[in-house]
Amino acid sequence: MSENHEPFAELAAAWALDALDGDDAARFARHLAEGCDECVRALADYHEALARAADGLREPPPAAARAALLARIGTPRRRGRLVAGWAASLALAAGIAAVVTASLVARGYEGRLAALAREADGLRDQLAAETATVADLQRRLADGERALTMVRAESEEQARTLALLGDPATRVVTLAGLSPSPGARARMVWNADRGGVLVASDLPPVPEGKIYELWAIAGGKPRPAGLFSVDPNGRGSLRVAPIGGVTTVDVFAVTLEPAGGVPSPTGVMYLASKAA
Amino acid sequence: MAGGAELIRRMAGGDREAFTRFYDAYAPLAFGLLRRLLGPEEAPDALQDVFWELWRGAGEYDGSRGSPEAWVTVRARSRGIDRLRSRRRREEMFVAPLSEAAADPAVDPDATVAERDTVRGVLGELPVNQREVIELAYLGGLTQSEIAARLRQPLGTVKTRMRLGMERLRGLIGSRA
Repeated sequence: MSENHEPFAELAAAWALDALDGDDAARFARHLAEGCDECVRALADYHEALARAADGLREPPPAAARAALLARIGTPRRRGRLVAGWAASLALAAGIAAVVTASLVARGYEGRLAALAREADGLRDQLAAETATVADLQRRLADGERALTMVRAESEEQARTLALLGDPATRVVTLAGLSPSPGARARMVWNADRGGVLVASDLPPVPEGKIYELWAIAGGKPRPAGLFSVDPNGRGSLRVAPIGGVTTVDVFAVTLEPAGGVPSPTGVMYLASKAA
Repeated sequence: MAGGAELIRRMAGGDREAFTRFYDAYAPLAFGLLRRLLGPEEAPDALQDVFWELWRGAGEYDGSRGSPEAWVTVRARSRGIDRLRSRRRREEMFVAPLSEAAADPAVDPDATVAERDTVRGVLGELPVNQREVIELAYLGGLTQSEIAARLRQPLGTVKTRMRLGMERLRGLIGSRA
């Protein structure tokens, strides 16, 4: 290998943790694509090591997840204990009736055995059908629980919004339109710990394949803070998460970027706040 | 009890019984990771997706390239990270995943690693400052620059610690295997 391999060894360790930032990730992906046995070996070892680390963090998943998954792949014969007990008692009652009926009509021992075998088959099918029904009910219950979780999340979000507005650390920053759209305006309600909301108006429509990207500039370094589009009236809004490690944002700015966003600004700036 | 590799081979042939046993053996491994990455509400959903993928992709498993444990944890982690980062990208969460992670003692970035008792096993054998960066990445889903910002350490320091910690982990499993 002509190139010094050492930097890639460092990148490989972080790659195994999905911890590389944009440029480093691209660099290492190129390196891997060129074919490097040493790095492939290292990554395999790292993955084994992390699996060993994860072993110490084992946790039993909720039973509903298992039931829903097995229903999804279609394993009606597998069942939880409760279901088995319930279905089996039904089957037992039906089975006793069947045996009594069979014994009345059977001429000989073989006839009774054959009848019992048939009944057993029927009961197995019945049990399978009932178990499938229960699996379906469990799936619907899981769906219901998921919906409930979403509703809870929404109400929590509203509570967070109220908390944001009531927090004395929350400030309102005005962004003014720059040369491409001097009439544009935006307001940012911002709290370093809670995040914030951007509301923009009178922005030009977003061209095909583009999107507006918000930047939080702190210590001279722009950090991507989210993507948004605008409606036909030029209005757009965006919820912004807190930015890790940044307590003071000096400037908020909006640029027009390729759809999907970019890790650092490349396009024309449409809005900016005054430096704090 | 068939080994994990044997169960995967049978899963590839459509053996649902083998899948059930595989799930029972490996779901806690995946769930421990997903719960830490995503929290208790989203983790069960993610777990189902992961095992659905493992069921569908069992034919691609190559035992010469890694253990069943690595196969499961790499998929679980990758699916967890996808969900975590798309959640951030969509800006659906008003509070960053970081803040949620902070509510979880296992990845609380404000507690020093030494104070936590949830870390068991092989991670516990790393020096604290190496364990910290690896946990923030592995269980908190943070990138190196995010970790540097969070710990208020230079990026280069974080990179070095991560490398040293991972090398050490690699050495530890080598010596036990």
